[in-house]
Amino acid sequence: MTNRLPHLVICLSVCLALAPAAWAHHSQSEYDLKGKVEVEGAVTKVEWRSPHAWIYVDVVNDKGETVNWSFELPSPVTLMRRGWTRDSLKPGDRVKVTGAPARNYPSIAIANFIRDDKGKPLFTGTTKVNESESASTPSR
Amino acid sequence: MWLFVLGVGSIEPSAQWLNYPTPGIPRLPGGAPNLKAPAPRTPDGKPDFSGMWFANTPSRDFCKEKDCIQEERMAREQINLGIKLKDGLPYTEWSKEQMKTRRANGGREDPHAYCMPPNFPRAWTLPQHSRIVQTPGMMVVLHEFNAAYREIYLDGRPLPVNPNPTWNGYSTGHWDGDTLVIETNGIRDDMWLDIQGSPITESARVTERLTRVNFGLMQIEISVNDPKAYTRPWSATIEMALIVDTQMLEEICMDNEKDTRLYKK
Repeated sequence: MTNRLPHLVICLSVCLALAPAAWAHHSQSEYDLKGKVEVEGAVTKVEWRSPHAWIYVDVVNDKGETVNWSFELPSPVTLMRRGWTRDSLKPGDRVKVTGAPARNYPSIAIANFIRDDKGKPLFTGTTKVNESESASTPSR
Repeated sequence: MWLFVLGVGSIEPSAQWLNYPTPGIPRLPGGAPNLKAPAPRTPDGKPDFSGMWFANTPSRDFCKEKDCIQEERMAREQINLGIKLKDGLPYTEWSKEQMKTRRANGGREDPHAYCMPPNFPRAWTLPQHSRIVQTPGMMVVLHEFNAAYREIYLDGRPLPVNPNPTWNGYSTGHWDGDTLVIETNGIRDDMWLDIQGSPITESARVTERLTRVNFGLMQIEISVNDPKAYTRPWSATIEMALIVDTQMLEEICMDNEKDTRLYKK
């Protein structure tokens, strides 16, 4: 899709600020998208509700204290279209979660990767895109 | 074009009808939808736009790794409806000030972030799907976000005069050959057209020209004449892909909205 490039260059300054990652119903400016959170623990709760699914994970920190982290996921609608179900993650599941932290709240983050405690991806479902269909149309 | 991983020939019980074949559509010998087939027509010979649609102009992926759960494609025009215009949208000074404030606030005032309705024409570009139901006298557009609807009257009535402003305004449609021309007025004064906060106001007159290029593709030319927000009328064309072999999934935003609380510190 070489015709994307000029638009992306034009878009960079605004889009990076306003529309990172999986924007679904909000700008995500509440997250530090250049920051990184990586934790391992046990799922304590799954909220499979719109506009975003949330999972909660008990994580033992450096001081030996258990902290319950909240991770924002895409919408259940998006996840279902990628093959997830409301039972894909359950309380008790051991997970490694990588994401970006909330700017002003400790132990809240948006999740980018959820893997098992050995680092194996739990979900790899994806929607398929037929680019040629779009590229062949007159308006492009 | 978005296609979902399907097994058209084997129907297994599953959650909802996520992978259930759409009956009565043209298919290739192997069973895949024939998206290049001619556009269907209604009994009176007009193009039939009925079906489920999604903006077919994916932006880049922010996550490259295969198991990135945030992999999601969205229309470039969702970010900036004028992204394909050489000089961008022709903002008035008032609009520029609005944009400056909205940008400075990181887009946090976006009505969509607060679960407000999916206002058209912006709604065409959102990540949720639209479904067009076309009848001789009316086109109805259903939208997954907040299970919303929009009526477009095709019965020849005029646009209302000085109507009470609403999220979607008031729409009538007429045919120009095989193109359906939708005229809209009565839009609220404080609507957003895209994520970056391009305004649309009560002074706007919007014209959408819908053309079904073939079975799988629809083009919508969106023309905005809004002297309060823009120095001159402008048009942007988006592409919509037909989505088949699946269903609408409701997304009620207020069900469990938890992001706006994070804005408050």
